[in-house]
Amino acid sequence: MSEPEAIRAPESIRPPAAIHPEVETMLALVRERYGGRLAPEELEGVRTAIEGIVQAAHALRAVRLTNADEPGQPFAAYRADP
Amino acid sequence: MAEEVVFVPVRRLGDLIRERRLSPVALAEIFLDRLERLGPRYNAVVTVTRARALEQARRAEAEIAAGRYRGPLHGIPYGAKDLLATSGGIPTTWGAAPFKDRVFDFDATAIRKLETAGAVLCAKLAMVELAGGMGYRQPNAAFTGPGVNPWSRDAWSGGSSSGSGSAVAAGLVPFAIGSETWGSILSPAGNCGVAGLRPTYGRVSRHGAMALCWTLDKLGPLALTADDCGLVLEAIAGRDPADPTTVDRPFRHEPAAPAGQRFRFGVLRGTTDGCEEAVRENFARSLGVLREIGTVEEVALPDLPYDDITRTILFAEAASAFEDLIESGAIRGLTAPEDRYTAYARDAILAKDYLKALRLRGVMAREADRVLAPLHALVAPGRPSEAALLASEVRSAIRGTARDVMGAVGNGAGLPAVAVPNGLGARGLPTSLQFMGRAWEEPTVLAAACAYQSRTDWHERHPADLS
Repeated sequence: MSEPEAIRAPESIRPPAAIHPEVETMLALVRERYGGRLAPEELEGVRTAIEGIVQAAHALRAVRLTNADEPGQPFAAYRADP
Repeated sequence: MAEEVVFVPVRRLGDLIRERRLSPVALAEIFLDRLERLGPRYNAVVTVTRARALEQARRAEAEIAAGRYRGPLHGIPYGAKDLLATSGGIPTTWGAAPFKDRVFDFDATAIRKLETAGAVLCAKLAMVELAGGMGYRQPNAAFTGPGVNPWSRDAWSGGSSSGSGSAVAAGLVPFAIGSETWGSILSPAGNCGVAGLRPTYGRVSRHGAMALCWTLDKLGPLALTADDCGLVLEAIAGRDPADPTTVDRPFRHEPAAPAGQRFRFGVLRGTTDGCEEAVRENFARSLGVLREIGTVEEVALPDLPYDDITRTILFAEAASAFEDLIESGAIRGLTAPEDRYTAYARDAILAKDYLKALRLRGVMAREADRVLAPLHALVAPGRPSEAALLASEVRSAIRGTARDVMGAVGNGAGLPAVAVPNGLGARGLPTSLQFMGRAWEEPTVLAAACAYQSRTDWHERHPADLS
């Protein structure tokens, strides 16, 4: 793994200040799937939760990884004994 | 006799039982009585397992009388967080109303291992519903009611292993088993002024435990001392074919570090940012104690979105683990209103982002190990504040309303940590100190915590008004 400073993304691909459009898109998805069972105030709660999720996603996307950086929990091939 | 055995550490109780100066049956009766009488005061108990406890205690007594002593947990009462499956008609509720009558026909591996060690299951202990995985914002998030702190009945015992923390703190059991996905052992241990050990991921089998997040869930003990936590971990650790994440690494707890051992402690830069003043003061005093047994140096982790990494993994896996409950709308039956809808937001997590979090977890694990390698442990406040008031909203790194780099890294990278009490805050509630080590270094963090506790007496202080 490269040095800590090197894995930070340049400012140009840091999270945009406004995440509003992405939040609204995701909220529309949730409304489409579950809107019938959610009261307006609950949908507002969902919006707040989506904002957090989208902000986290932007923070993750802002970090550059190499092709060799695999998930920390690799899949293992399975074979029942014997 | 109750006064003589309540708040006595497991190690001492074990000695008394081994020497046949203490009857396991009498001991079980004392703690069963306290669980039934005082448990409701703290909303600490879901089910008192009286019949099973007395059967196990009688068996222990007979075996010991016949010279078949199994070890330091033989005849010791305990409670288990109610997400561990238990057979014999004992409900396993996961703290959630939709499951309050559900019964399994097998014992979780941890329960089975404790039975093999001769421990006596006295209670299934209360917890935040579904271990807090649905986004709760308040202590009142369990069908058993909010976990009440034995130190102050207007304060929360912590979550999600609420009953495991309060039951040990109130002297209802000598030790308890809890689980941690992110904070659920260290939080109630810290809030309730007891010791809590989060083992390395893979150290303890999760077979028979409710799955919240497959790659984050860990089981571990809460007890009066770090030493007791080590004794319990020795009984429940080990490879289990039923849980492929477990590994065959032997764990042996030594009660004390070698004479004259010096420790090298690290403190993450900015680790007390956002902590209450009393937490910072108590941590500074703790560092003074640690300098008597070693050195303390400031260290730094690279600038990565640690909380976002672990939070994204947690949300995505929890949404999948409880897909049926969420999709069916059965989450409507949960207690906290926000738990009934917040999880729908997790459809917004893209697979690519979840995988990015898993890849960044690898980076996080390597960076954490690089920082920890020359150290015996990173130390930090166990919690940024005293326990929240029952009526208040709970600040949480999981929801992003607080930061918790130690918790995000420790849980995301699966590292062991032990929390022990280190003082009292402005409201007279406990604060805590955590020691976090490299993977599989439970012996090291326990040795450090034991050394700290040998120089302090916070673990010997208990809540008033427990009669």
